[in-house]
Amino acid sequence: MKKILVILLAVIIVTSLTSCVFVPLDSNQQTLNGSNDSANQPVPSAVSEKAMEIYFLNFKPEIAEVYQRIATDYESETGVKVNVVTAASGTYETTLKSEIAKAEAPTIFQINGPVGYQAWEEYCADISGTKLYEYLSDKSLAVSKGSGVYGIPYVVEGYGIIYNNAILQKYFSLADKAVSISSADEIQSFTDLKAVVEDMTGKKEQLGIEGVFASTSLNQGEQWRWQTHLANLPLYYEFKDNQDFDNTVLAGLDAKEIQFKYGAQFRNIFDLYTNNSSTAKGLLGGKSVNDSMAEFALGKVAMVQNGNWAWSQIASVEGNIVKSEDIRFMPIYTGVVGEETQGLCIGTENYLSINCKVSQEKQNASIAFLEWLFSSEKGKAYVTNDLGFIAPYTTFKENEKPADPLAREVLAWMERDGTVSVPWTFAAFPSEDFKNYFGDVLLEYVQGTKTWDDVAQIVIDSWKSEKGS
Amino acid sequence: MQKALKKFFPVFVLPTLIAFLISFIIPFLMGLYLSFTEFTTVNDAKWVGFGNYIKAFTANQEFVNALWFTVKFTIVSVITVNIFAFFLALTLTCGIKGTNLFRTVFFMPNLIGGIVLGYIWQLIINGILYRWEVTLTFDPKYGFWGLVALMNWQLIGYMMIIYIAGLQSIPEELKEAAKVDGASGSRLLWNVTLPSVMPSVTICFFLTMANGFKLFDQNLALTNGAPSKRTAMLALDIYNTFYGKNDWEGVGQAKAVIFFIIVGFIAFVQLKATRRREVEA
Amino acid sequence: MKSGKRGTNVFASVTMILLSVAFLAPIFIVFMNSFKGKLFISDTPFALPNVKTFVGMQNYMVGISKTGFLQSFQWSLLITVSSVLTILLFTAMTAWYITRVKSRTSTGLYFLFVFSMIVPFQMVMFTMAKIANLLHLDNPAGIIIIYLGFGSGLSVFTFSGFIKTIPVEIEEAAMIDGCEPIRAFFTVILPMLQPVTITVAILNTMWIWNDYLLPYLVIGTKYKTIPIAIQYLKGGYGSIDMGAMMAMLVLAVIPIILFYLSCQKYIIQGILAGAVKG
Repeated sequence: MKKILVILLAVIIVTSLTSCVFVPLDSNQQTLNGSNDSANQPVPSAVSEKAMEIYFLNFKPEIAEVYQRIATDYESETGVKVNVVTAASGTYETTLKSEIAKAEAPTIFQINGPVGYQAWEEYCADISGTKLYEYLSDKSLAVSKGSGVYGIPYVVEGYGIIYNNAILQKYFSLADKAVSISSADEIQSFTDLKAVVEDMTGKKEQLGIEGVFASTSLNQGEQWRWQTHLANLPLYYEFKDNQDFDNTVLAGLDAKEIQFKYGAQFRNIFDLYTNNSSTAKGLLGGKSVNDSMAEFALGKVAMVQNGNWAWSQIASVEGNIVKSEDIRFMPIYTGVVGEETQGLCIGTENYLSINCKVSQEKQNASIAFLEWLFSSEKGKAYVTNDLGFIAPYTTFKENEKPADPLAREVLAWMERDGTVSVPWTFAAFPSEDFKNYFGDVLLEYVQGTKTWDDVAQIVIDSWKSEKGS
Repeated sequence: MQKALKKFFPVFVLPTLIAFLISFIIPFLMGLYLSFTEFTTVNDAKWVGFGNYIKAFTANQEFVNALWFTVKFTIVSVITVNIFAFFLALTLTCGIKGTNLFRTVFFMPNLIGGIVLGYIWQLIINGILYRWEVTLTFDPKYGFWGLVALMNWQLIGYMMIIYIAGLQSIPEELKEAAKVDGASGSRLLWNVTLPSVMPSVTICFFLTMANGFKLFDQNLALTNGAPSKRTAMLALDIYNTFYGKNDWEGVGQAKAVIFFIIVGFIAFVQLKATRRREVEA
Repeated sequence: MKSGKRGTNVFASVTMILLSVAFLAPIFIVFMNSFKGKLFISDTPFALPNVKTFVGMQNYMVGISKTGFLQSFQWSLLITVSSVLTILLFTAMTAWYITRVKSRTSTGLYFLFVFSMIVPFQMVMFTMAKIANLLHLDNPAGIIIIYLGFGSGLSVFTFSGFIKTIPVEIEEAAMIDGCEPIRAFFTVILPMLQPVTITVAILNTMWIWNDYLLPYLVIGTKYKTIPIAIQYLKGGYGSIDMGAMMAMLVLAVIPIILFYLSCQKYIIQGILAGAVKG
C-alpha cells in the first residue's frame, strides 16, 4: 500500500512539474497565454516585435493546409507568426462568435458581404487607407459604408454546371440521339438541357455512366450547393424584377418578405438533378460534396453543379480519369424567360476584415501580411498555384492568373460576348439559418416526406422570420 | 482533532474550492442571471425578465419538439435497457461456462465515448438502411430507433453489472427455502428474486433516465438533429440555440435553466425513492 | 429435471455467444471498413474488403495526417492523466476536511458539491467557457483547473462517503502521536482511501478521456483532444472522408480496449461502486 502511495505522489509531483513546464514549451507551437502575458508587460519594443503574432480565422477548410505552409514561410521571412485556425464547414459564424470574444481574438477574419458586415460592424476596422485597398482592381467590390472600407474581397469565384465534354461528345455522336443539338455549346436553355439530360439517362449504359448528374449531396453541412448556390438563381430573378433597385443584392437586403416567384424554375432544375442522378433519392441524405466530385472525377457521371474551387477536389481524386481539357462549365438554366444570355454565377462571399478591437500593432501586422500575400512574388505564387484564387487585384499580371481549367473557364465566361453573369445575390439571404431551413426541407422533399408546396412555404416563411429576428 | 485540522482550511479545502467557484458556482449563478437578459457577450446583458423563457416555447417549435423527443427516447430506452440488462444478468448468474468472458464483452461498449459511438452506429444503421435506398436522415423514426439501439449497446453492460451484483447478494438460503416451498421458476423470479433486487432496479432506472435525458455527444454524432432538427434532443437543441443563432444566447440560457430544473426534479424524485427504500429496509 | 437444466444451460450459452457476436460486430465492421477505399464504405459497409476496395493502411495515413491524431492523442493523455491526479489529490483532502471538521461551512460545501452533481453541463457551458477564457485557463494546463472544479462534486461525494466509514479513532491516534494534519493525511488517511481512490480515478478517467463538449468549448479551436479531432473530421476539411473517419474510430477505440482489458477488475468494481453510491 505504501508503494502505491509513493508512486502516486511521485506521479503527482512529476505532473505538476510538467504542467508548469509545458506552458512555455508549448508557446513555440501554438498561441498561448505565456506569450500574451509577456505582451501585456512593458517590455522593450524589440522584444515585443519579436513576439508579434497575428491570428487568421480561415473560412475555407479545403485549403487550410496551404495556409499553414504560407504561415510557416511568412514567419521565416518576417518573424511574424501567423496563427491560422480553420473553422469546420458550416460553423464559421459560430466559431467567429466564440473566438472574437476571447482575449486572443482573431486579427483577420472573414465576412460574407453586406449582411456579414451588419453583424460584425463593430469589429471591422476601416481599411480604406491601406495599400491592400489600392490593389483592388474594382473598388466597387469592397464592402464599404460612407467613406470607410470594411471588407475587401480576396477571390472572385464562379459556379455553374461542370460537365465532362468527353462524355457529352460521345453522346452527341450517337446515331439514335433524340435531340438535334450536336455540341454542348448549343445548350442554351433549360428546355435544351432537359432534352439532352433525359435522353442521356435513357442511354446511360451506352455512355458508360451511372447517371447524368452526380449525387445531390444533402448530408448536413454538405447542402450549400443547393440551399445557397442554386437558390441564388430564383431569388436573383425575383429581385431583378424589383424596379426600385438596380442591384439585386441591395433589393434583397431591402426585402422583408419574398414571394419565391421563380420557385417553379428552381424545382425544374432540382428535379432534373435528382431524377437523372447516379444515386437513388433516399440515399442523398448521406452524400457529401466529396462523393459527388469523386463520381465526376471517376467518369461515373457527366455533370455536377459546383464552382471553380472544386478543381482541387477533382484533381486529387485517385483514379481520376477526366482530362483537364474536357472539363467545362455551362450556366445553370432553370427555365426563366430570356435565359439564353445568362452566364455563370460570378461573385464572391469572401471578404477579409481586420479586427479593430485588437492592438494597432496587430492590425498593422495583419494588413502587412495580407499585402505580402497579394503583392509579393512568393505570396502571389501561393495565391495562383496553391490557393487557386482568381484574385481581384491589380498586382496580378496576366500570366499570374490561375492555370486550372475551371478558373480559366470562369474567366472565359466573364469575357464572353452576349452573356450576362449572375451576381451572387445570396449575399442578401437573411441568415445561415434561412439557408439551413431551406436545405433541410429540400432533403425532405427529395425523400418524399414533404411536397413542393411545403418547400415553397418554408422558404417564404423562414425568409420572413429570419429577417424579423 | 477537529481543532488541529480546522486551521488547515487553506491547504485542504481552498484549492478545490477556488476551482469549484471558477468552473461551477460562478458560471451557474451567472447563467441563472443571464437567462433573464439579452446578451451576446457576458458584459452587454440587458434585462428582459421572462422574455427568453416565453420565446423558448413560442418563437418556434424546436424546444417543445426536442422536449417530447427526449421524453419519448428516455422512456423507451429505460425500458429496453433494463429488460435486456436484467435478463443478461439472470443468465450470467446461473453458472454457465464463460460467464466472465461474456461479462467482459457486454460491458465494453460502455467505455467508448459518445462521439465515437455515434459514428460507429451511423455506419451500421446507414449500412442496413442502404438496402431500402434510404439513410438515417430519411425519417425521424430512424434517428429515434438508431439512438435507442446505440443507447442499448452502450448501457446494457453497465446495468447488467449492477444487476449481477444485486442478484449475487441474494442469500442462497432464501432461494432454497422458496424451492422447498415448491415455488416454480417464474414464481421464484417474481416473488423472491425481483423484490430482493429492487434496490438495483431503482439505481438502474435512474441511471438510464439521467443518461438518456442528458444525451448529447451521441445525438450530435449520429444525426445532429436531421432531418430538419426533428431528432434533436434537449441538450443538442440548447447547444444549437446558443451557438447556431446570433442574438439567441439568452433564449439558450433560459432553455438550459428549464433543462436543469427537469433534471433536478428527476434527481429529487430519485433521492426520495432511495430514502424511502432505506427507511423500509 | 437435471437434463432439463442442462438443456436450458446449452440454450443460454448459445444465446450468450450469439449476443456477444452481436455486441462485437459494430466494432468489427468499423475495423473492416477502415481498410476500404473511402468511396466503397457507404455503399457496401458489410462487405469484406476485396481486391478492388482494399487500400491497406492508406486511410490511417490520411486520417492521422489530416486530424493530427498523434498530437490529439498526446493532448488527451496529458489532460486526462494530469486532471485525474489533480482531482484525486485535492478532492480527497477536501473530502477529509469537510467530513471531519463539523461546521456550517463544511455542511454547506458538502451540499453544494452534491448539488453540482445534478446540474447538467449545458446550464453552465457558455458562462464557464467565458470565465475560462477571461482567466486564461483556455489551455491544456488551465483546463486541469476546470476539470478539478467540475469534477469535484462526484469525487468529494464519493470520498466522503467512504471516509465516514473509517473510525475516527485511527486518525486521532495518529494525531496524538504528534502528527500534524498534512502529514497525517499523507501517511495515514490517503493509504486507507486506496479502494475508493480507484473508484474515483476510474470514473474521472472515463469521463475526461471521452469528454467532448467541455474541451471543445474551452480549448477546442487550438488543442484538439481525440473526440474533438473526430468530430472535426466531419466538417473540418470541406467534406467528410469516410475512410479516414473509420480509421480514426479504430484508433480511438484501441486505447480504450487496451485500458479495459488490462484493468478490467478495477474498472468494473470502480464503476459499480460509483453507480451504487451515486
